Formats: sequence, C-alpha cells, structure tokens
Amino acid sequence: MDPKLLEILVCPVSKTKLVFDKEQQELISTSANLAYPIRDGIPILLEDEARQISAEEAEKYRKQKA
Amino acid sequence: MSDKKSTIDFGFTEVPLEEKVKRVKGVFDSVAGNYDIMNDVMSMGVHRLWKRQTIDLSGVRPGHKVLDLAGGTGDLTKAFAKRVGKSGQVVLADINESMVRVGRDRLINEGIIGNVEYTITNAEALAFPDNTFDLATIAFGLRNVTNKDKALAELYRVLKPGGQLMILEFSKVTNPAFAKLYDFYSFNILPKMGKVIADDEESYQYLAESIRMHPDQETLKQMMLDAGFDKAEYLNMTQGIVALHRGWKY
Repeated sequence: MDPKLLEILVCPVSKTKLVFDKEQQELISTSANLAYPIRDGIPILLEDEARQISAEEAEKYRKQKA
Repeated sequence: MSDKKSTIDFGFTEVPLEEKVKRVKGVFDSVAGNYDIMNDVMSMGVHRLWKRQTIDLSGVRPGHKVLDLAGGTGDLTKAFAKRVGKSGQVVLADINESMVRVGRDRLINEGIIGNVEYTITNAEALAFPDNTFDLATIAFGLRNVTNKDKALAELYRVLKPGGQLMILEFSKVTNPAFAKLYDFYSFNILPKMGKVIADDEESYQYLAESIRMHPDQETLKQMMLDAGFDKAEYLNMTQGIVALHRGWKY
C-alpha cells in the first residue's frame, strides 16, 4: 500500500494511527482492536467489515509499531 | 434514546435506520457498471456542467489535499488530480466498493495515477485525521447518507482551518411550473429510462424519490451551520434541480 495513503489514514472508530500488516493485507487499529481488510489494494475502513482481534494480538502490533 | 426516530427514508419508503445503508449499497452495486452513461442520459449531459462549475469554484491549487467523498466513478477526482499536481493528493472515498473499483479502473485507463488514492469509508465515520484536507467535496452522495448531521460534522473535522466543503446535490426546484415538468420527468420517464438502458427500474425510482426527500436549500445550509461550519452559502443550478452548498472552517 502507498505510504502516502497510510500517512493520512486513521481508525474510523478511535481516530488513531493504523499499523500496516503487509502479509495479511490488513490495517490494524491497536486501540479499537480491529483489523481492517485491504482488498485489491483498496483499504476497507468500515467497522462492519473489520475483524475483531484479541488484546494479545493488538499488543503484538503495538510493539511492532514502536 | 427512546425519543429518537428509529426509521429513516429510503426514497418514499420508511425503513429501519440500519437498513438504509444496505439498501443504498444494493442500488449502487446494481448501477455501478452503467453509472456514467446513465448520468449522461438522465441529465442530458448537464451533470457535466454542474460538476464543471463546482470545480471552477473550488479554488484548488497545486499542492492541495482534496477529499472526494462519495466520489464513485471519479469524475471530480479526475479534474482535481490534474489541478493539485504531483505535490498534491486527491483521495477518492466511497462506501461502495463496486463504485470505487469502476472509478479506479477508469482513472488508471485515462492515465490518472500517482496522486490519487482510493479508500472505502463511511461518511459518518471518516478514516482521516483532523485538519487534513484543503477541500472536501461530496457530489450526489449526501442524499444517500443515513445520518447527515454526523457526516457533516465529520467533514468539518477533517478539513484544515481555512478549508472548504462543497456539497453538490439535487435540491428543490424554485419555479412551480418547471417543478411540475420536472416531477413528470422524474417519476414517469426516468424510471423507464433506467429500465431500458440499465435494466434497473427500481434503482432509478429510488433516485427520483430520494431527491424529493432530501432537505431543501435553506434546511441544508442550516444543517451545515449546526454541524459547526463557520460560514455556509449555496447557489442554485438549473432552477434548483441541483444546488451547490459551500461551507468553510475558520
């Protein structure tokens, strides 16, 4: 995904920065514990389409970000 | 919350609040492939003039960041991408994936690349930080949003101070004689054209109905001010078939 786009995206629920998981093609909100899918290069930033992630998973991404 | 309305208009039909977004999705999934040609046929090409006037009044310059919300198949994005140049950025955002895919394919085919980004986002919960855009537009989209007050507040939030919102939308025809003619066209001819050209009478019936349910010029202007805009004004186009509302964040 284009880094210029990632720069201006936030979680639509918590309005905080997202972590890009390239392998899974997901954008992770570590504050809302949600993973948003990227389909065919287009990020789907809809709460209804997001996958709920566990607190441990979120923690893992939080460390990755730091 | 018990005094809040739990239903909302879907055209002339009242549906549960959570139902509208699904139904609108159905309409646009259904029309995406024929959307551009139908716009030309239905408006006899005049939609191009409405959009042209919007672009001319936008004041977009090289380096600007623009949000084209409900950007659909990319008419405005295309024009803005040319104006903002390499140092600028245009984000085409829409809740409907089918529409964005059609839009992206079309823009790439036309060589519009490099400064355009595509996202799927809900107008009521935008996925952009505060104070991001110099200009936000929503052309023929606000009508389909369930909670318009929420969407307006979100648009205000993502604008930079000094930024402008432009809402291009069907509105209320000002001249009564012309209004009669327009009604006849909308309810008798338009859905039939939808059937013949796109084999989709229902979607175009919804279009006509949703236009009549949309807040009129003054109501929408007041809604913008209530949502936080520091200044709001509008101008009618084609006798008020369409109005362009502009709001500023100071």
